[in-house]
Amino acid sequence: MKEKWGAGMRTRKKVKNYMALKLIIFGTLAAAVILMAVFAPYLTPFDPYEQDLGNALLPPGRVHFLGTDRYGRDMLSRVIMGSQTTIFSALFLVSVVTVIGSVLGIICGYCGGRGDSFLMRLSDIFLAFPGMVFAIAAASVMNGGIWNAVAALACISWPKYARIARSQVMSVKNQPYIAAARLSGSGFWKIIGKHVVPNIAGPVVVTAVLDIGTMMMEIAGLSFLGLGATPPTAEWGSMMSNGRSMLQTSPWVILAPGAAIFLTVMIFNLMGDTVRDFLDPRQRKR
Amino acid sequence: MKRRSFNKKILVLLFAAAGLLAGCGKGSASVPDINAEENGQAESREGEKVFCYGDTTFNSENDEPDVNPHNGYAGWACIRYGIGETLFKYSDTMEAEPWLATEYTNVDENTWEITLREGVTFTSGRAMDAQAVKECLDHLIEVHERAAGDLKIKEISADGQKLTIKTKVPVPALINYLAEPYGCIIDMEEGISDDGNVSGTGPYRATVVETDTGLTLVKNENYWDGVPHLDTIYVRTISDGDTMTMAMQSGELDGAYGLPYASLPLFENAPYSISSCETSRSFFGTMNYETEALKDANVRKAIAAAIDKEGFTRVLMNGNGSPAVGPFPESFTFGDSTVTTETFDPEASKALLAESGWIDTDGDGYVDKNGQKLTLRWLTYPSRQELPLLAESVQATMKDIGIDLQVNCTANHLDFIDSGDWDIYASAFVTAPTGDPEFFFTTHCLDDSSKNRGNYHSDELEALEEKMSRTFDADARAKLATEMTQVILNDNGFVFASHLRMSIVSGEGVTGLTAHPCDYYEITVDLDKN
Repeated sequence: MKEKWGAGMRTRKKVKNYMALKLIIFGTLAAAVILMAVFAPYLTPFDPYEQDLGNALLPPGRVHFLGTDRYGRDMLSRVIMGSQTTIFSALFLVSVVTVIGSVLGIICGYCGGRGDSFLMRLSDIFLAFPGMVFAIAAASVMNGGIWNAVAALACISWPKYARIARSQVMSVKNQPYIAAARLSGSGFWKIIGKHVVPNIAGPVVVTAVLDIGTMMMEIAGLSFLGLGATPPTAEWGSMMSNGRSMLQTSPWVILAPGAAIFLTVMIFNLMGDTVRDFLDPRQRKR
Repeated sequence: MKRRSFNKKILVLLFAAAGLLAGCGKGSASVPDINAEENGQAESREGEKVFCYGDTTFNSENDEPDVNPHNGYAGWACIRYGIGETLFKYSDTMEAEPWLATEYTNVDENTWEITLREGVTFTSGRAMDAQAVKECLDHLIEVHERAAGDLKIKEISADGQKLTIKTKVPVPALINYLAEPYGCIIDMEEGISDDGNVSGTGPYRATVVETDTGLTLVKNENYWDGVPHLDTIYVRTISDGDTMTMAMQSGELDGAYGLPYASLPLFENAPYSISSCETSRSFFGTMNYETEALKDANVRKAIAAAIDKEGFTRVLMNGNGSPAVGPFPESFTFGDSTVTTETFDPEASKALLAESGWIDTDGDGYVDKNGQKLTLRWLTYPSRQELPLLAESVQATMKDIGIDLQVNCTANHLDFIDSGDWDIYASAFVTAPTGDPEFFFTTHCLDDSSKNRGNYHSDELEALEEKMSRTFDADARAKLATEMTQVILNDNGFVFASHLRMSIVSGEGVTGLTAHPCDYYEITVDLDKN
């Protein structure tokens, strides 16, 4: 019996180590991508906005590692610069919807009543729409632009977080320790801040991290449709859109930003998966 | 206005949503299933010649919902697909020459006698005589505002093959206007069907007219000018250039008009061939004289000299255009070779700005005066693929001379025009659709011009136009046009960037599909496929 226990412990430890390693690897990669975005203006080998029509559509080579676009701008510089727009707007969007959605969800879940019913019906309305179609509609009504695209996606994304936070709060609020806190004289904000939020944070954070990649795709998608970043701003989605008619003649113009989106989204998705595995108690017990 | 623009947006996004949903379905949703029809036809009639033509322009957005020449710009479709013909047609140098007519005489300033061709019949079977033409033109000026405004017809009388037109005031360009696609002669006895089909005199007649989708054309067995080679032509509206490129590559289409410039290199070699031709469609900027900075002639001149027309046409338009001097391309007798304007010279631009006191005092890269940075709003729209490219290219060259150019590229451009929130408006316009130069000036540059958006005014130009409106001789008109063009170029009230070179791509074995400077003679009796 004792041996079996020991073996179980060892396996669990191994799994945990493996997960920690994965978390470190993907965390480092994600951090590297974010750092690249932060220091983008210092990393670009050329001015990403400098046009040079004499060097238009050069294939990848020694001077221009990823080639040049139809205005003769260096693709590598534009991809690096574009990371700023795409990644920052995705991170900003995820933070905003996480905070707003969770706050609303917590208040609804904890207080209940008419306000809860109203907000939840409102979120039902938003959830009933196909997300991307709604975002396209909202972004075009607001006349495009990267911030309007972010606002449009925020409109459609907050209900998910409100739902998650609310259901978590509902299951937590009737726990004895909340009743104890209440009996000992803790006020509303203290209970929420000290006892509710720490106990519901896990699922919300996991959802947020998993959503970074999705949001990046959606922002790039709106830009691809001309509803996000406007020229000459370097943004991966709009760079792909501008190059799409050259897919057969100068494929690097569309492949470079495409690969950037693919790699970045993959890194954030894998990191999200690992964070979920790491925080999920069931996974850890296995 | 606001409400209207909101409704427009709603409409746009409904289309976008529909497009997206359609895109999720079958990959080839936007390309109609041509093969199915083709196979069906081929089974029933062995050995018949079928031709599939892809086009971007046959749609209601373009004001071409059907082939009825008396409806908006649908006459362009009527003539483009070989259904209708006009009394006069344009030569390769855009001079009007007889077509359904054989000759004309200008009896007096207001009276024109036109002799019609013998032996021409409509596809309905009726012979084309003066009475039929009179009925057609009477209906045209009754229902078509633009035509009525151009032609200014008082009355028409018919006698056998002799047609006499009396105008209310002298209309020196009447013959040119009759060659405009709205002048397609159709049989009014047969009438206009509910789906906008008509009976013309061209080599083909339409059997199916589907707005925004396409047309089915069959051979006119009784055509007066030879025997059409093809039995059936399917015209397909494909608004997405990339979709059309792939349809052309896969062999679904035998010919295509409106392919993106970036795709044209794919069709340069056999079995494909490209027919290109310079047209009078010009891309140009209009200066807003209400803008304080643009009232300064030096600033306008500096802007004109800071547009890299050569780079724009050679690189961004893949050579499918020519750098413009004025509104008319070189092929016209009053075209670019007869006038001069600023050449691309950023240093000269900087000097001109400095002369007017625009100097970069704070070192931010942009010139300023009295603490104000020189910022200009460049308004344009995306439906012509060249315009966003021009905007981005100009933005970069303006930055070099220290002007901060803010590009507003929106489908909503007309609302911005109305509100006056713009400094330079870049647009595309067919400057001489009738081969006559007066049209451009009367629409864009005079005090009472409907499209004089920047409130341009020149006493000299007004005086020259006064002369032009009374001049009948073509050479004298051309000379006047040259002078008028030079006036607007000297003022830099308009800056012309390029003229469009239109290209039609033919697939394997296709002959007789050639581009014409007027942009609307495409399917003719010569078209064949072997």
